[in-house]
Parts: sequence; structure tokens; C-alpha cells
Amino acid sequence: MSQFQAIEFYKTPQPSYRLLPFRFTTLDQDQYVLTNMAGEYLVSARDKLSDLLQHKLSNNDPTYIELRARHFLIDDNSSIAPELLSIKLRTRYDRLAEFTGLHIFVVTLRCEHSCPYCQVSRQSEDKLRYDMSSEIATGAIDLAFRSPSPNIKIEFQGGEPLLNFDLIKFIVLEAKKKNQQRGKNLAFVIATNLALVNDDILKFCRDHSILISTSLDGPKDLHNANRPRPGGNSYEKTVEGVNLVRQMLGRDQVSALMTTTEASLNRVKEIIDEYLAQDFNGIFLRPLSPYGFAIKTKSYRAYNAKRWLDFYKEGLEYIIELNRQNINFMEYYAATVLKKMLTSEDPGYVDLMSPSGIGIGAVVYNYDGSVYASDESRMLAEMGEEKFKLGKVLENSYEQIFTSPNLLDPLEESFAYSAPMCNDCAFEPYCGADPVFHYALYKDYVGRKPESEFCSRNMETFRFLIRKMEGDRFVRQLFTKWANS
Amino acid sequence: MKDSEKEAKSVAVSFDGHVFSLMAVKKAAYRYIDSFSADISIKDEEIRCVLNFTSPRSDESCARLVDDFKKEVLDQELREKLKAETEPVRNLILAHAFSKTGIVSNEPVSGD
Repeated sequence: MSQFQAIEFYKTPQPSYRLLPFRFTTLDQDQYVLTNMAGEYLVSARDKLSDLLQHKLSNNDPTYIELRARHFLIDDNSSIAPELLSIKLRTRYDRLAEFTGLHIFVVTLRCEHSCPYCQVSRQSEDKLRYDMSSEIATGAIDLAFRSPSPNIKIEFQGGEPLLNFDLIKFIVLEAKKKNQQRGKNLAFVIATNLALVNDDILKFCRDHSILISTSLDGPKDLHNANRPRPGGNSYEKTVEGVNLVRQMLGRDQVSALMTTTEASLNRVKEIIDEYLAQDFNGIFLRPLSPYGFAIKTKSYRAYNAKRWLDFYKEGLEYIIELNRQNINFMEYYAATVLKKMLTSEDPGYVDLMSPSGIGIGAVVYNYDGSVYASDESRMLAEMGEEKFKLGKVLENSYEQIFTSPNLLDPLEESFAYSAPMCNDCAFEPYCGADPVFHYALYKDYVGRKPESEFCSRNMETFRFLIRKMEGDRFVRQLFTKWANS
Repeated sequence: MKDSEKEAKSVAVSFDGHVFSLMAVKKAAYRYIDSFSADISIKDEEIRCVLNFTSPRSDESCARLVDDFKKEVLDQELREKLKAETEPVRNLILAHAFSKTGIVSNEPVSGD
């Protein structure tokens, strides 16, 4: 027998650790993204992941410290982790209990534009046929105020909603009157192409704090080609309107949205430059939706997820470079995802919610009194598919509308926490269920995720954002700023 | 390889049933549903998969997908292990997260 103890005797014993629930998905050939229940992520090499799962990871390993700090494992030094995770998880789902905050009123389907990708608009002089009546509007206001949410946003859409501005005025005044007893945080937005805006309209908007959301697809030729109207001057009207809104309501009272058509794909830098020229603080690079005229006119199928991603990545790289040159400019889709990745807050973006945001996050009162679970649901209805119609304003009660099987079935079936492939996907905390998109394309609320464009587009976007953050300290700081904006 | 040389192929892959669970193999096959369908069977503790590629591919492309599929089976097996090991604490965290919301049954809601 030896006179001395073996060397192992003198080594500090490895503390045992317990794993906390997390999911992992490949980032690239060698690395994995790990996310915990609260959505915090960590990038790890495959061998470290394997060691972790086999309880072989040394507590001296830098990865161990990070894993413990971000609640992927627990040991004697981190007993509070489950409680912290619970609090973060509760914060993330806080919005659910509030229920519907966004109430979209389609005050008319009429529009003087004839955009080939538009999902819903009609060119018609027949006011009675495509305008919402004051009776339906009153019923819809009553429904909106039944929502338990302390924040009620009423958004006016069309068609071109300014074609029925008298009804907008009626709804604003009625809602404000009703709110004197309810005391909710009431906000209004008009989604308009601004072609018909004038001083009288904007005076009313100023007096009632109504925000303006408009459409700007890019430089003049692109915008006018995408958005034809009599006179071929949509761009001029929009820019003129933006300036008028800023003069009368204030600089930050108008925002713009763009739609990506096939003609946009090679011009992302020009589009961003146009937004900069018009003095916007950011841009929302968004793909076409598979609904309405976008399908009929084959605009939707004009490009696939890969082409869209190339466009998106080029745009985001350009925006990052602008920021490197001290030009503050944001990409809003990335900012929405980053809020989910880097904070415990949920931004409440309907497409990226699970349970899905349909009905819960937003609801649509159509011009004819039909109630739909989301804006996309009414677009689908315009194609003859009423799968997401929840009822009628003047015929159904609040209870009947919000317990409709047309709402509850897709919510339950598409819940990503239990959908095949989503349930063990590391990106699930950042992603959404979007049953309307999947039903529109695959006639199924869930869809097969390996074949889903929604899945491939978002997975690659999440991977891209993480790669950029992991590889560049400046980007990490920039993205953290966006996430907390 | 020329396009004319590409054709729809089938490849057989086996997994030791003592090492891998049937669920892990099924989940991995689901992930590749856009590339191949899988006939899965068990014989003598061996999980046998015949992967039928849905569109013509080169041998190289098929081999890469089979390789990825095998890695995915391993990942799925690890996920199963992780899920089983962390299930009690997962339930604890979820229960704690929603314990004051009134959503969980049998919980008195404040003000009731």
C-alpha cells in the first residue's frame, strides 16, 4: 500500500448539478442554440452540449458559468433559478390575461388605388354596399369595450378609410364618450394611403390624438408601379401627406409600412434610402401575405422564402452599416424578435404569438358586421374561406363571438408548445403559431413545419440575428438597444 | 452528376433499439418530411427505417441527408433524455408562473 493518497484525493470534488428545462436546435454545423423556458438563449458547441446532458461538464468550464447564470442548470450556488424562471415566464405571458387590445374597424372596402397585391380593396362608387353603417359601428364599439384589456387601440382600415371619414369621426366620438365611464387607455390609428388627406381631416386627428400609419413601398418609380391610382401619383400624394401630417400633428405621429413585391427584391438599399430621405427612424421589411389579390394576381408566388431572406439579410446588413456610421435607423421586424430574445417582455406582435394572437391580440370588425379573428382572417374570407369568421356584430353576443369554435379550435390546435417539431424547437419562444397563414396555404392550422414557409423564413431569421450578435460586439450592442426601445 | 442520372432513391438505415427510442427516430423522420418519407419498423430490437426520397437527388445529396438524419436521431434521443430528467422542475416552474393568475383551477382568485 502506498504511503500517499492518489492525486484524485486532493482534487476538489465536482459539484453535482441538475438540469433545468431547455431546448436546443442547430445554429450551424458545429454549434447549437439553447433556449430556456423564459426564452434566454446561449450558443454552445455540440461537445459541450453533450457533456452538459451527460452531467460531465466541469464547473470550471466557462460554459458552465454561463449556463448557470442563464438558468440552464442549477447547483448549490444557484437554488433560486426556478423561481426566477417562473417570474420571467409569467412576465412573458402577462399579455395573455389582458386579452384583446387591438380592434380593427374596416370602415369601407372602397379604395381609389388598385394595387395588384392588395388583399381586400374594391373600386366602387356603391357606398351602401362596401361602407360600414353607424349601427354596426356602435355594436362594434360595445364589443371592443367588453375586452378586459386596460389598453384599447382602435385602428381604422379599408379599402381607404378616409373615403368614409364621417364614420371615423362618429366612432372616435362615440368611443371617447363610452370611455368616460370605462377609463381605459384609448388610442386611435388610421391606416391610410394619405391621397385624400386634408387640413380638416388632420385637425380632427390632432384634436383627438389620432395616429397615422401609411404605406411607402420605396422610391418613386417602385412605389407608383406597386400602387397604381388615377394620375399615377401615389408616391407624390404619400410624401405630400406625410409632410402635412408632420406639420399639423407632429413628426412622430406618422409611421409607414412597406410591402415587398418581386420588383423590390433587388432594391432593398434604395428602399431603405427612401425611408431615410423621408426622415423615418426605421423600416419594417415584410414579405407579402398569401391572401386575397396577392394570390389571385400571383404576386405572392412571385418569390419564395429564400429570395425573401436574401432581400431581408441584405437590408439588415445595410441598416447595421448605417448605424456603424452613426445613422440611427432600425429594422422593426428584427427589433420585435430581439425583444423576445433579449428581454422578458412580449411585444404582442400577432404573427409571432403562441398561443396565436388571433382574437386574443387583435380582432376585426368588417364593414358588413362580420367579426374576424385577425386582419388576415378577413383577407382569407375575401377569398371565400370563412374558417376564421367569429360571428356578426349585430347578431352575436361577446360571449358567442369569443368562444366561437372558429377561434378556440385554431388557438388550441396551433399552440406551438404542443405542435409537432415546434414543441422541441429552441426558437419556439421567439416564434408564433399563425394558424391563419398555415390554413391559407396548407388547409391545416398547424401545417407540416418542414414544409412551412413561415417556419423556414422565421427559423433562418432567428439564426441570422443570433449569428450577427454572436460574431460582432457592435451588433450585439445595437440589437440590445433595439430590443429595449 | 447530370440531372438525367438523378432518380428518386430509397436508403435503408438501422438503429439499435437498446440505444435509441422509437420516438426519437419518429421525431427525426418528421423533421425530414420535406425530403423523404420513412417506412419505420422494428425487428429483433433493431429500428429499421427505409428512407424514400421524394424527388430525384444525386448520391452525394442523399448521403448528406442520411448523415444529417442520423445526427438528428441522436439529437432527438438527447431531447427525450432532457425532457424526462427535467419534467418535474418544468411542471413546478409552470405552476409557479401561473399560480397567481386565477387561470389554474382550484386556486382562489384574489377578491373572491
